[in-house]
Amino acid sequence: MMTTTPILDIDKLNISFSTYGHKSHTLFDVSMTINEGERVALIGQSGSGKTVTMRTIIGTLPMPPATIESGSIKYKGKELLSLSKRERDGLKGAGISIILQDPLLSFNPVLTIGKQMDDIVRFADIRYGQNRSADARKKHIIETLAKVQLADGTQIMGSYPMMLSGGMRQRVLIAMALLNKPRLLIADEPGTALDVTTQQEILDLLNALVRDEGLSLLLITHNLGVVREMADRVYVMERGHIVETGTLEEVFSAPKHPYTIKLMEAVPPLYGSRVRDIENNADKNTEIKISNISKTFVRRGGLLNRPIGEVQAVKNVSLEINRGDIFGIAGESGSGKTTLAKMLLGLYGPTSGDIQFNGKSLNELRGTVEFRKLVQIVYQNPGSSLNPKRTIADQLAVPLHFTGYDKAQIKGRVAQLLDMVDLPAHYASMYPHELSGGQKQRVAIARALSVEPEILVLDEPTSALDVLVQNTVIELLHRLREELNLTYVFISHDLSLMRNFCNKIAVMFRGEMCELGATKDVFANPQHNYTQALISSIPVISAEEENLKPKLTKQERAAVLATSTALGK
Amino acid sequence: MSVDSTTTTQGTAHRNMTSGQMAWYRFTRNPAAMIGAFIVLSVIVAAIFAPFLAPSPQSAGSFVDFRNRHTAPNAEFWFGTDNVGRDIFSRVLFGYRVSLGMVIGVLGFAVPFGVVLGLAAGYFGGWIEFAIMRFTDVMLAIPPLAMALAITAVLSPNLINAMIAITMLWWTWHTRLIYRIVRAQMSEDYVEAAKVAGASHTHIMFRELLPNCVSAISVKISLDAGFVILFGAALSFLGLGVQPPTPDLGTMVSTGSEYLPEYWWEALMPGLAILYAILGFNLLGDGLRDMMDVEV
Amino acid sequence: MFYYLLKRAASLFLVLVGLAILIFVIARIVPGDPARIALGPLASAEQVAQMREQMGLDLPFHTQLWNYLVGLTHGDFGKSLLTSRPVSADIMQALPATLELVLFTIVIQIVLSIPLGVLAAIYRDTWVDNVSRIISLIGVVTPGFVLAIILQLMASYVFTFFPVTGRLDGGLDFSADVTGLLLIDSILAGRPDVFGDAFMHLILPATALAAAGIGQVMRITRSSMIELSGRDFVEASRAYGVPERVVTFKYMLRLACVAPLTILGLEFASLIGNAFIVEFVFSWPGIASYGVRTILQKDLNAVIGVVLVSGLFFVIANLVIDILLGILDPRHRLREGASK
Repeated sequence: MMTTTPILDIDKLNISFSTYGHKSHTLFDVSMTINEGERVALIGQSGSGKTVTMRTIIGTLPMPPATIESGSIKYKGKELLSLSKRERDGLKGAGISIILQDPLLSFNPVLTIGKQMDDIVRFADIRYGQNRSADARKKHIIETLAKVQLADGTQIMGSYPMMLSGGMRQRVLIAMALLNKPRLLIADEPGTALDVTTQQEILDLLNALVRDEGLSLLLITHNLGVVREMADRVYVMERGHIVETGTLEEVFSAPKHPYTIKLMEAVPPLYGSRVRDIENNADKNTEIKISNISKTFVRRGGLLNRPIGEVQAVKNVSLEINRGDIFGIAGESGSGKTTLAKMLLGLYGPTSGDIQFNGKSLNELRGTVEFRKLVQIVYQNPGSSLNPKRTIADQLAVPLHFTGYDKAQIKGRVAQLLDMVDLPAHYASMYPHELSGGQKQRVAIARALSVEPEILVLDEPTSALDVLVQNTVIELLHRLREELNLTYVFISHDLSLMRNFCNKIAVMFRGEMCELGATKDVFANPQHNYTQALISSIPVISAEEENLKPKLTKQERAAVLATSTALGK
Repeated sequence: MSVDSTTTTQGTAHRNMTSGQMAWYRFTRNPAAMIGAFIVLSVIVAAIFAPFLAPSPQSAGSFVDFRNRHTAPNAEFWFGTDNVGRDIFSRVLFGYRVSLGMVIGVLGFAVPFGVVLGLAAGYFGGWIEFAIMRFTDVMLAIPPLAMALAITAVLSPNLINAMIAITMLWWTWHTRLIYRIVRAQMSEDYVEAAKVAGASHTHIMFRELLPNCVSAISVKISLDAGFVILFGAALSFLGLGVQPPTPDLGTMVSTGSEYLPEYWWEALMPGLAILYAILGFNLLGDGLRDMMDVEV
Repeated sequence: MFYYLLKRAASLFLVLVGLAILIFVIARIVPGDPARIALGPLASAEQVAQMREQMGLDLPFHTQLWNYLVGLTHGDFGKSLLTSRPVSADIMQALPATLELVLFTIVIQIVLSIPLGVLAAIYRDTWVDNVSRIISLIGVVTPGFVLAIILQLMASYVFTFFPVTGRLDGGLDFSADVTGLLLIDSILAGRPDVFGDAFMHLILPATALAAAGIGQVMRITRSSMIELSGRDFVEASRAYGVPERVVTFKYMLRLACVAPLTILGLEFASLIGNAFIVEFVFSWPGIASYGVRTILQKDLNAVIGVVLVSGLFFVIANLVIDILLGILDPRHRLREGASK
């Protein structure tokens, strides 16, 4: 790299926030450079200050409450913080542009895509004294949409944001950021709100754009796998401080700061020596037998709420789960995995087929105390599965109360449960908001275990948690399985986590089960095209893993994945 | 988007506060809310201790003092006197008794009724929801004052009937509010978790869902209290509420307005007294709303 | 859009039918014999019995209800005991006055409160915000009749040029036969004097009626604007260089109007209810004045008529608002519409 002026040069930036008269420092001496054509990642967990940094660069930081205490931000050598408002606005979208995290919320819901894009072009034209006709602007928009591989530009321009799929919205959003030919693109968690296969397409697209258009990229993310695919150089941020920086190679192969090391270790490996194989050492009797189960939902609508169509959420799934298994059910959104889990719990009745628990049909068991003592569930987000207005003790008592425990027994059992999940006894009288995310999930696990079930359905129990906390919850689940002789049914979209947690895995694809086997075998040699596509889409953090991923041709991918470039479903 | 900034700032600024202390802190820092709380307290004190606080307690009844009739406000009669020489200030203090009595009576029935219907509609859904919510829609289409007037007129105008009429119309707003909150909660996993745990319908409705409505209900009650006072006064003003000689603020405005514009204080002072009470409940309600961060 | 409106219209029609049935049931279950009330305490038992037959009170309940509903479909509300004329004729006569007052009030509310709410949101936590907060608070907490009296007092001492009763000065000879609305008919007839006088008559009652709504709508507009200013798409628009004034007045304002409009629709019944008091105080010859008079006379048919016509107003107002919401926020019609 030559010593030309960097496109972005942040020097010793300090920012503080004041709320209710209290001042708090948010960024501490943050320095960062991005050279022309370089791809730089800013890595940090939520609360690290990466969003504040991003907003300061783009110029949308609300002031007040925020104050820039000191420091400078230079764009191509020009000091941004002392620019006039007019000059600063002139850079927005044209010099520096941004792709915000949530592809739905980033659109104005009441204007068509075309109108929103046209406004962006039109006001930039006014600012730069250009005088393009409406047709010329439309042509420019359609060309920009074509750059993100969206061919039917006219039709997209006439649509409202809610009419597009998630992947398409993300593409349109990228096009929007590119409309005024920016030189520096900031991408905030690109694709994280999408399924992993769609995310892969988006990352490929972004990489191609940066390369072809000669852009510089600032990637803001917590996902290290994404960083490896997208960045040349990285900055690691923790609580407002840059704690480590270097090239991708340097940081990923030999992280120095303890925080970076912790982050790297927290990522579950997909392949290689760090992978943990799980065995089922229990008696292996069939505990759950699912035979030919299907579920069809009727869609209603129209004037009289008549049935107007059907959705087959689960189609003819059969599988057996043994006592002591950690059985993974993998799939992307809409694959039917959650419907299957709800049927296991008796919350939905199957349209056809049957589920048997230890030889007894679910039809007999549903709603009985016996069934509750057999299967319980841990939900994805403890923020939602715990009632914010009830104490921990109250919530742990619910299943006990309705299973016939008396007051004294409940009290004893609550203490025992808290101990079991490593929480201090005095937490019983606390409310959920006084606990951290990981602690809340422990409470949710304790509640599920309160009436001593044999089977736990785990619905993505760690996906709402910080990466660093995930592992402690996983360890707790392992320990509890040993101690209490439990069977787990683990529902997730996170295949790298499943690789290290499940002994068997089933992959769901559009309501059907497309792959079933021991986890080790499935990952070593995936049979179905979709499973291969799914595994190959997972961003990994080392070249070693990358090389071991299944390789697919474009055609093979296209055969199983609906691309996010075409309108209509 | 704003996760970063809020978590860090709150964490450092008030690390040692529980959320309750934090809310109280915000409340006391809000001058409007504090003024509201002071006004409400003063109205309550006035109502409870009216016989001791009133300079002329006998003015509350059908006392007559023609020597002092139509006296403009002065040091002795702070709010002046009315057409038969009664002290308007004393009558206002007693008037607050009637007003607060009405608030308690109306909200005491309307709130529980409205809340239970809202819970049932939101929780059960289906035809129960359809029946309850369409019924409240119908009730909302009726001009409340017209309906209350009709009811009191047919049943003969007095305090109790006025309260019955207002109660019959008031519950709908609580039903709508609770329904909205419950619908939003139904997608939360803790409702399903309670079902999986085998909890009964009454448990889920009253133990799981209701606690999450409490802050909204309390804000609504505070705001409502002012409007019930307003509504009762309006009925009395039209001669269909409380009947003389009971010292009611609305009746006093109505009688006083016959002597406009010369003896302006006779209508204006009780009118301002009504305004004062409503203002207090409103400021308090707004303060509570900010403090508990709920939408009502 | 058509589908969405059809659906909304159907549910509002349901409200109207429900209202008719509800009112009928209430009118029948109140203590006291309608025939006796109609004839007064001096009538003989025989006369009462005859009246009962004449009023159809001896028929089975469901037949009475059916006859009544059928009557309603051709605008037959029965006869008023107070005026001995058909209730529908009385209402038609009083309706334009109320319509004019209510429409004028809504115009005042929208014209004043939405811009003030937007200003308060833009200049949040400055003196502009504080002043508008105080205005809105006064509006919300001042009872309509107290405000009406204060306005009348002011008119008699300060603003003596404002008339305090009626719709039109007695000295002016004018009959509004086209729309019944004086402001419109006077323009059509080319009578600026009538227009001016009618306008002056409207100001005070409309202010008294509008106050509560102004305060509420202003607050809601302010808080929606503030809420919207934190949304991702607003930040995105700013980040793409769309000028601040466009973001505020084109993107945010459009969405910020949704909540106040919804509230206006929901509270429309309250507005009509408050019109009862305002019309009473200002001797406004509208249906609310008619309503209060007939209520005091226990004139049941007339009362039912007034309540039903108010309900009809409510339904029409809400339909208009639904159309506006459908235009402002396409999600309303897309969600309900035939896209599935």
